[in-house]
Amino acid sequence: MSGCSGVQSALAPAGEEAVAIYRLLLLMVVGGTLIWLAVMGLLLHAARRRSARWTAQEAGRLILFGGVAFPVVVLLALLAYAVWLMPAIRPWFARQATKPEMIEVTGEQFWWRIRYPAGGGMPAFETANEMRLPVGERVTFSLEAADVIHSFWIPALGGKMDMIPGRTNTLSLLPTKTGVFRAPCAEFCGTAHALMAFSVIVMEPADYSAWRRAQTAGNRSGGSEGERLFAHHGCAGCHGIRGLTPPASLGPDLTFFGQRQTVGAGTLANTRENVTRFIRNPAAVKPGAKMPAFDMLPDEDIADIAEYLVALE
Amino acid sequence: MTDAARPEPSTEERKSQEAELRAVWRTPSGWRYWTSVNNTEIGLWYGGAAFFFRLFAGVLALLVRVQLAVPDNDFLSAETFNQAFTLHGTVMMFLFAVPIFEAVAIFLLPSMLGARELPFPRLSAFGFWSFTLGGVFVCGSIFFGAAPNTGWFMYPPLATDKEYSGIGADIWLLGLSFIEVASIAAAVELIVGIMKCRAPGMRVNMMPLFAWYLLIVAGMILFAFPPLIAGDILFEMERMFDWPFFDAARGGDPLLWQHLFWIFGHPEVYIIFLPAIALMAMIVPTFAQRPIVGYSWIVLAAVGTGFLSFGLWVHHMFTTGLPQISLAFFSAASEAVAIPTGVQIFVFIATMLAGRVIFSVPMLFGAGGLAIFIIGGLTGVMVALVPFDWQAHDTYFIVAHLHYVLIGGMLFPVVAGIYYYYPLLNARKLSDRLGKAAFWLMFVGFNVAFFPMHLAGLRGMPRRVFTYPAGVGWDWFNLISTIGAFVFASGVAVVVIDVLRPKLRQPKGEQNPWNAGTLEWISEPEEKWGVRSIPIITSRYPIWDQPGINDDIKAGRYYLPDAKDGARETLVTSVLDAEPVQCLRVGGTSVLTIVAAFSLGGVFIALTFHWWITTAICAVVTLAAIVAWLWTGTAAIPREEMRDVGLGKTLPLYMSGPQSVGWWAMFITMAGDGTAYASLMFGYFFYWTIHDDFTAGHAGPGMLWPLVAAGLFTLAWLAMLLARWVNGKDRPGLTRLSLLVSLFLTLAAGCSGLAGPYLTGMEPTAHVYPAIVWVVALWTVVHGGVGIVMQLYCLAGSLAGRMDARHDIDLRNVVLYWHFLVVTAVTSFSVLGLFPVLR
Amino acid sequence: MRLIPKEIESLWTLFTAPTIWALHFLVCYITAAIYCAKAGAAPFSFEAMRLALGTVTVAALAGIALSAFLAWRQWGFGSGDPPHDEPTRKDRMLFQGFATLLLSGLSFVAVLFVSVPLVFIGTCQP
Repeated sequence: MSGCSGVQSALAPAGEEAVAIYRLLLLMVVGGTLIWLAVMGLLLHAARRRSARWTAQEAGRLILFGGVAFPVVVLLALLAYAVWLMPAIRPWFARQATKPEMIEVTGEQFWWRIRYPAGGGMPAFETANEMRLPVGERVTFSLEAADVIHSFWIPALGGKMDMIPGRTNTLSLLPTKTGVFRAPCAEFCGTAHALMAFSVIVMEPADYSAWRRAQTAGNRSGGSEGERLFAHHGCAGCHGIRGLTPPASLGPDLTFFGQRQTVGAGTLANTRENVTRFIRNPAAVKPGAKMPAFDMLPDEDIADIAEYLVALE
Repeated sequence: MTDAARPEPSTEERKSQEAELRAVWRTPSGWRYWTSVNNTEIGLWYGGAAFFFRLFAGVLALLVRVQLAVPDNDFLSAETFNQAFTLHGTVMMFLFAVPIFEAVAIFLLPSMLGARELPFPRLSAFGFWSFTLGGVFVCGSIFFGAAPNTGWFMYPPLATDKEYSGIGADIWLLGLSFIEVASIAAAVELIVGIMKCRAPGMRVNMMPLFAWYLLIVAGMILFAFPPLIAGDILFEMERMFDWPFFDAARGGDPLLWQHLFWIFGHPEVYIIFLPAIALMAMIVPTFAQRPIVGYSWIVLAAVGTGFLSFGLWVHHMFTTGLPQISLAFFSAASEAVAIPTGVQIFVFIATMLAGRVIFSVPMLFGAGGLAIFIIGGLTGVMVALVPFDWQAHDTYFIVAHLHYVLIGGMLFPVVAGIYYYYPLLNARKLSDRLGKAAFWLMFVGFNVAFFPMHLAGLRGMPRRVFTYPAGVGWDWFNLISTIGAFVFASGVAVVVIDVLRPKLRQPKGEQNPWNAGTLEWISEPEEKWGVRSIPIITSRYPIWDQPGINDDIKAGRYYLPDAKDGARETLVTSVLDAEPVQCLRVGGTSVLTIVAAFSLGGVFIALTFHWWITTAICAVVTLAAIVAWLWTGTAAIPREEMRDVGLGKTLPLYMSGPQSVGWWAMFITMAGDGTAYASLMFGYFFYWTIHDDFTAGHAGPGMLWPLVAAGLFTLAWLAMLLARWVNGKDRPGLTRLSLLVSLFLTLAAGCSGLAGPYLTGMEPTAHVYPAIVWVVALWTVVHGGVGIVMQLYCLAGSLAGRMDARHDIDLRNVVLYWHFLVVTAVTSFSVLGLFPVLR
Repeated sequence: MRLIPKEIESLWTLFTAPTIWALHFLVCYITAAIYCAKAGAAPFSFEAMRLALGTVTVAALAGIALSAFLAWRQWGFGSGDPPHDEPTRKDRMLFQGFATLLLSGLSFVAVLFVSVPLVFIGTCQP
């Protein structure tokens, strides 16, 4: 996987919430460093052999001012700032509100089901492991879990929110920069927890609308051998490809799979070789993956299917 | 303090007294050595076992670091890695961090307080054996690939998924429940010991700070561990019998476990941290060569932290989607707890400023630990702010933060304590050179290992990943961390070598090599009696301020210089002013504690594997062992009522009610028990809050049977009060009759308690509502069952002539139990019967 | 005979102020949690709940102030300086008074901290 070191970093904020938290962090790092240096200086001074010893009264005053008064004031100010910040960066959105973008994301072992709602005259559609967002527009997510607890986190855009079975959490984010970001699962969810991430592509609104329109239509048949084998070997039983296969919901949707950054929910870069490896034995590249191995298929069939999938653009 | 009124014992007299004491406090030899219950042996074994577990968990951590050294590594499989990090966290928290202080406290407290023993030595031994057995069971599981693998906080539904977690989760739940029992046993022991067994004159303003801290910590254990036990019960019922407490599909909620776990989990951090600071509070004055500045401030900090730490638990749940206002309350309390923590650091600095500091290895570890801990504290202030935690939660930033807190705030002070207190073990110091080498290896290694984790976390590295892709920006940080971890481990290895290397050629040192001021430095490693005679204390630092106290103690010029009746004895004093009130006889060497611990362990282990018959057999053996232990070891009527304890003072040997240590132990145990019960009731109301209709249309237990049960329990309680009253009038016949009446009332009460859910056909696997009703009813009825055993015990005591109007300790304690029981029963059954109707 | 004796012969008074803090904290947390979980079912608004909790806060602060005053009195109104380490009943009591006073101070500050959210957060938003 290529990519610069900023794709998954809270230190390279590209969203309103992430920027606010980054500023808070900088403030605290500077303050914290100064406090640490001051206390260490005092400790080293106290540990040195000195001719002048403090009296108990003077030392007691140090406890009162250094240990009590100063922390009380600093902590109260910091607390007030942070508590004020909370509703400012995560404003209230009633679930019933008619927001055009309430993207439903469901965490499943070990991938992400993503449902875009109907809006702008276009119907709802489902995709997986990659989402696109328009820059400068607030989006709200409705977060659920299918099996165990997962956690939804796009570090570059903001903080995380858990996905808990039986509960529906909401989170709203406002991307401020375009780019490609990586979003890992942040709550331990089983064997392949480390290999469960999705990509977020923040685009100019015009590009986003074009992409959104194309999604509705789905893929068109190319009549390839891979397309035939995909149906023949039963892949379509779990994976849907809009426009080509009947709806299926057991595994990740594969519509426009060729556009995606990764295969296996952030496990490998999306190349033909990697798709082949994944189909042959998913658990070998992603331990714990629920998709069964297809190593009983002839190598050329797997290669054809992989070829077909990466060509779905 | 040698005044003329004090009779000077002759040399022969002294010799014979010493021989008596030596015989009474002798540690058995051969295999029977392991049946010893003496606090110095138990403390040493306890500490040794805890440290061994710590090394084991350290090796697991190194395996984890090797796997993470480079991206896409395959040194460990995902499955092994998940078991390794889960066990690392579990063992460090449950088998090292908490027990090491129970160990240190059991070892040090009696001599620090000027007592011969803690009041319940057999309980300490029981706790130790339970802990060791449970620990070996939990650790051993990884060699069979069956270790828990869902992280140390065991979140359902992952941890209730049997296919994923296998038997590992049961091992975690049952093994640790067993160890929690041991911790609570230790807490009872420490609280009673500190409150009631201090040397005469050691008023509350004279107590060594270590004792103050341990008193608070033991109190915290009492209120922090029971919620986890309640959680464990719910969890295990779900795993074993499919009662859906955490299954969202049937009305359960995974978040309830998170609440119960963290109500335990956060105070636990302070349960770990405060005793370490307590060690610092003993070490700093010694090396500043002056009394601590701000004694009251330390008491403020300890008590304040103890309270505030119970208002922090949701800060582990900031990303679960709770309302912001709830999060903010916990954020506020989490910021507030930084204040008492800061006070303690400034007390140490102030003491150093007002004294003349002698630098030494313990101070090096102490100061280094402080430097590390302050960073952990500052990052703690950061993550306690909700917005920042939204980013930092469950990343390597948290891994860095918690290790800065725990290693700086706990491990470094512990090593300081090892270097400081080692001379108490065999009158020799550890090596200065090795100590300094160890310090620098540990200090540098630690920072190299853990500082980069802050950055890795901020750059988005989540916790608990067995691998990571190259190029996301974490490669270098991880490699550096791994190198640092090995440097740190080498430092720990140097400490181990220093402790274990033979020191026979090294000459024996002074008894008090650091010129410390507190009483523990008077004890003699080769004598098992604790203190030769129990002194009168008039200072916080008696060795500094009471010249001659050492000689006076050793010459037997104080209380209890002899052991005429061949019994192990110590003084019981009043809580505030430490005036002598009783001469307490404590239990001696016994194999019963080991039998009780191992059979109780058998219960838990057999449950793990669903061997029901073995479970039942072990349970019966446990009950028999405990009854035998109580029957032979407690509440015996002494041959004479009074005992001449020396210095012209005679004290009673038998006391009952609030005067007796047994009554206190019962009270404290029941406070813990009540907390577990409150946690279950919290669960009941929790389900009510999250659902529109928490019964989901299921039939309830009705009103009739629960109210009948509540009424019958109340009548049974009244009968117990009557029994106590008539016993006071010396009417044994009527006493027995009342006990019997109460027993049958309790039986009837239990049956009607279960009749409610049973007759209405409540199916606990169908939905969480019937399940929680059943659990509450069962909890109450089982407590009624224990009450019946106690009534039978009292009846037997009465028939065997162990109980009369004056010697009524058993009856009084049982009535105290019944006070708690009746509150439990009335609450349970009124809620079960009335709440569904009233809500 | 005073209503509250000047010298309290119990260790428990030490815990009065922190206990008030704990009760205040629990009332705030439980009220808000139930209100937000049962949103819509309550017959009063979030604002009303905030005001009620504000009142509870003032009551808690008053309780702690009272405990602080009693402690201050037991401490002899600051007539003697710490360390109160003489082996006398009097010094033991002065120590208790002083420690209780300090704890009241901490509890007062902690209650203030816990009331900060009431100022800034005005809805049940997650």
